[in-house]
Amino acid sequence: MEFLSQAKKFGVRSLLLQGLTFLSVLTSAFMIWKGLSLFTNSESPVVVVLSGSMKPAYDRGDILFLHNGFSPIEVGEVVVYKLNDKPIPIVHRVMKVHTESESGEQYLLTKGDNNNADDRGLYNPGQMWIQRNEIIGRVKGFVPYAGMGTIWMNDYPYLKSVLLGTLCVLSLFSND
Amino acid sequence: MYNFLQRLGGITSFAMSTLMALLVVISLTTPFLPSNPTHEVTLHDVRTTTGRMVDPADRTSRTSEYARLTFDVDADLTSMFNWNTKLLFAYITADYESPGFDTNRVVIWDRIIRTKRQAKLRLRKHHNKYFLRNYAKTFDGVANANLTLHINPVPYVGIMYDKPMVAIPLTIPRAEKARA
Repeated sequence: MEFLSQAKKFGVRSLLLQGLTFLSVLTSAFMIWKGLSLFTNSESPVVVVLSGSMKPAYDRGDILFLHNGFSPIEVGEVVVYKLNDKPIPIVHRVMKVHTESESGEQYLLTKGDNNNADDRGLYNPGQMWIQRNEIIGRVKGFVPYAGMGTIWMNDYPYLKSVLLGTLCVLSLFSND
Repeated sequence: MYNFLQRLGGITSFAMSTLMALLVVISLTTPFLPSNPTHEVTLHDVRTTTGRMVDPADRTSRTSEYARLTFDVDADLTSMFNWNTKLLFAYITADYESPGFDTNRVVIWDRIIRTKRQAKLRLRKHHNKYFLRNYAKTFDGVANANLTLHINPVPYVGIMYDKPMVAIPLTIPRAEKARA
């Protein structure tokens, strides 16, 4: 009720202006994200570590900054890859690299530092190596535990609704 | 004048901005901290056999050539531990060229070093931790092989980088007459 009376006071134009400002904030954030994706040649330049398979280097909740670029992958690099048919990206270290002379095609084998076996068990059935185009990016930098919020929201979905609900309530009761 | 929530909001946003700026400065300056590691790798012996490892997922493993190396490592990596070092990831790769393939790099041994005490490496007659086999089934035509020790310091926060160290030449012999 308070919202409607405020709206009548300020007029439709002011409402539209507020909506426009809100949209422009959203779209600039989106543009920055997509621009970063283009610059790093990576579909998702910031990821959160979901498993403990790279302990003690990376733990659940670490935020990783990826840069893919166009150069060939080197052995020893920590990469994030997503298999063509699986939805979850995996952060592991590259153990073997074989680069073909003619095509430049790379055959890569990865392994998590905390795992005993290499990743062939995780690949698609019959897949022995992963290709360059399955790599989302190499890990260039990271911030520890900064992504724990994302993990909590994944593990406890009701937290998302609680957060959204709190934000709505706060925005209704604030003065501006 | 300002209520409690406004003050809290102002402090929090300032703290976040300062924290982010600090993290950026730390990330950019850590790779330039001075370090003086010493390292020496000696190769003793390379032996190649066939069908060493039987991998049920890999049909070629039974008849492929596997090389087994024996090596020593003498390294003092304590100077690479600065205040922003979480751990050092040391690994040895075998690099070589083979017909049809420009670069082949295979990690044959790795170790995670977590404290300064563990950073004084003194390994004698170690074997490769991971099987060394070519992408093809044999080591035929493998040339320009060497063993390189790399150190990858992982910081508590910041940029990842890699320091390759000594490279020593390596010859991988063909297996003795393989059983047909």
